[in-house]
Amino acid sequence: MGRIIVANRRGHQLVEWTTETDTPEAQAQIAEAERIIREARENGCLVSKRVDGKHVVDREPFNPKVEEYQIIAPIAGG
Amino acid sequence: MLTRISAWWRGLWGHSQALVAEAPLEIPWEREWGYLPKRNAGPGFSSADYVEARRRAREVALATLGDELWAQLRRQGYLDVPSKRFPGLSYRLRIGRRIEVRTALGVISPWPYDYLCINPLYPLPEEEFFAHLYLYVRDREDIILDVAAPQPWDQALGRTF
Repeated sequence: MGRIIVANRRGHQLVEWTTETDTPEAQAQIAEAERIIREARENGCLVSKRVDGKHVVDREPFNPKVEEYQIIAPIAGG
Repeated sequence: MLTRISAWWRGLWGHSQALVAEAPLEIPWEREWGYLPKRNAGPGFSSADYVEARRRAREVALATLGDELWAQLRRQGYLDVPSKRFPGLSYRLRIGRRIEVRTALGVISPWPYDYLCINPLYPLPEEEFFAHLYLYVRDREDIILDVAAPQPWDQALGRTF
């Protein structure tokens, strides 16, 4: 089971997928997660992934085997 | 016992964890936020929503930083992150505040002022944004150098709440 933490004004919301089955529903979940990661990056967000109990910024393409991603808000000065 | 009290409290305010989990996914980059007043999450956000958002933000901040850094933050009130670009310079991060630039004796700062104002492009609870800013400073200092607005005084951030 993988998940994306989408940080937003609600604190966060989760997008989850499973890699334990290969059903059309599971494939659709993975496609949706990949789309969200891609669109977040296209809109200036960073993406982090959980490694050894903490998050590090990740520049690799979406990997459904990653346990947890997080969308990091774009920033601006002032 | 604390969990039960917490659930009762959220229920009292009309929000359970299940209700929040069922809320439609809100993709923040799909909306315009520039019109919002400072420290505001936008229309339709109740006082109970603020309480719940801050509670959920704390969960994410803890998961992002890990137990050790989170405990250090709670104990000290800040985290210092050494610069990888400028030897002898560190960034002091505090929840909801501007970054404080600190230099060792004899080190000249690349900025004209000691505080860097950096906000998220959309509203976030301040503990959640603290964790984001920590990742930027530690892993993408190049972006900090690009966007930071140096300021002569400390102040609360405007886009967090």
